[in-house]
Amino acid sequence: MAMARKDNLAEETAQAAEGNVAYFPASRPWTEEAGVVRLHGSRCGGCGGVAFPAHNACPSCGAESGQDAVLLSQTGTLYSFSEVHVAPKGFATPYVVGYVDLPEGVRLFGQIEGRAGALRIGQQVAVVLGPVRAEAGSAATRGGAGGGGSAGASVGRTVISYRFKGLP
Amino acid sequence: MTLAAIAGVGMTKFGKQSERTIEDIGREALIRAMKDAGVGREAIEEVFCGSSYGGPLIGQRILRDLGMTGIPITNVENACSSGAAALREACWAVKAARAEAIAVIGVEKLTRFGGGTLPLEETDIEVNLGNVMPAVYAMRARRYMHETGATARHLAMIAVKAHEYGARNPKAQLQNRVTIEEVLGSCMVADPLTLFMCCPTGDGAAAVIVMSEARARELGARPVRIEASVLQSGEYKTGFRDMASSELTERASRLAYEAAGIGPEDLDIVEVHDAFASAELMYYEALGLCGKGEGAAMIERGDTGPGGLVPVNPSGGLACRGHPVGATGVAQIVEAVTQLRGETGPRQVDGAKVALTHCTGGGIAGLDHGACAVHVLAV
Repeated sequence: MAMARKDNLAEETAQAAEGNVAYFPASRPWTEEAGVVRLHGSRCGGCGGVAFPAHNACPSCGAESGQDAVLLSQTGTLYSFSEVHVAPKGFATPYVVGYVDLPEGVRLFGQIEGRAGALRIGQQVAVVLGPVRAEAGSAATRGGAGGGGSAGASVGRTVISYRFKGLP
Repeated sequence: MTLAAIAGVGMTKFGKQSERTIEDIGREALIRAMKDAGVGREAIEEVFCGSSYGGPLIGQRILRDLGMTGIPITNVENACSSGAAALREACWAVKAARAEAIAVIGVEKLTRFGGGTLPLEETDIEVNLGNVMPAVYAMRARRYMHETGATARHLAMIAVKAHEYGARNPKAQLQNRVTIEEVLGSCMVADPLTLFMCCPTGDGAAAVIVMSEARARELGARPVRIEASVLQSGEYKTGFRDMASSELTERASRLAYEAAGIGPEDLDIVEVHDAFASAELMYYEALGLCGKGEGAAMIERGDTGPGGLVPVNPSGGLACRGHPVGATGVAQIVEAVTQLRGETGPRQVDGAKVALTHCTGGGIAGLDHGACAVHVLAV
């Protein structure tokens, strides 16, 4: 998995080597092969409930173990969305966010490429990778400019994460 | 079931008070409440202080300069429900006969953040990906509008009503009237929510004195009874959840109605957590003030405005009274109590006997909300 990711994110990886890119979550819980991005979730061996991010214990039935790794679907259905015009430092406004329902029964929150005008509830979207914010200031968080996890050399890095792209 | 009584209430004006300390703001509300109840500091046996961003030992910092330390002081953090959650602790402490007179303070100073959206927790996955409170509500609003046919115009009508009430409340942060066109034309925050559909950030405090009903009557105060005090938290779900309705508010209000032995039809006034105009519309339904999908018709008919069937947020609500997070739940109680006493002047709901206050709080991934507190008050 890690090998495939490196191959297909060559550009980002190169940037990361130069200290220009960070990933969220830092564990990079996704796999990319031939342009198809799939997130790493967990499935409970007890109740079958699927979760993302992956859990060590099942939030559905309470099982404390037996959570198996599962690759989530690449496409899902747009449940709702909004174009955000006022946001903390580090986010370039406007940007669009939405909730996407995957066939496994998981609802994901994330940014959606482009503007909101072309989107509609119920349409299909695909999971992709891309920049979601800049680390500079990290004012999204309680600590503000001085309290985030972005002090020192990391300031200014572009944060890469999963996000969505509307499908025609 | 009567839990306790409110013997006195007090609050500061809400709004930007950047020149004052949070301790000073909290003290003003407490002093007003004790004066209203007609009690001195020696009568207060315990204090609960609700605040979300007030920092460690906020209660002790407020009480220190009043010489009111030494007694049990408990600080309560539950995001926007902090103040309401603090009140619940006081109600049940009185019910359990642990104390006869307890002060509850809700206090916040948000100007220290310099404006913009509220800071959220950095470990939250959605916050890291760009979720902010207006977007949380905006996505619910869009889904609600998609399912019910409600429009942005209905959201604007909620905002117009809030401003009409705010203009009648001298303690409100916003006291200007607005038109539907002005609301729709104000700048976009998170579509479909425009600026005038979003509550402002500000500073303020509210306080109440909670006593046993018998003790309050001994004092000659005109007590308002607390008939229900309910706190619930959102259920964590990694899967699909109906975001066009509020399961948490439905659950908390159902428990409150059961405890008070009343139904939504018995309410004379309601204070709801209208952090954003769309939320008020959805809470009409969750609280049972109308049926599913009927919120838009309710605001169109004017049922929840001045002279309506069941006035909602006669204080101006979070939208206009203001929303200093931890103070809000207690400020709702101040409004309910003064309404039930018939002391609110131009915004008075004539003959009000039963009030419900509803406070939710906190945006965290996977939950409807972090917390929801519902109180029922009666005279």
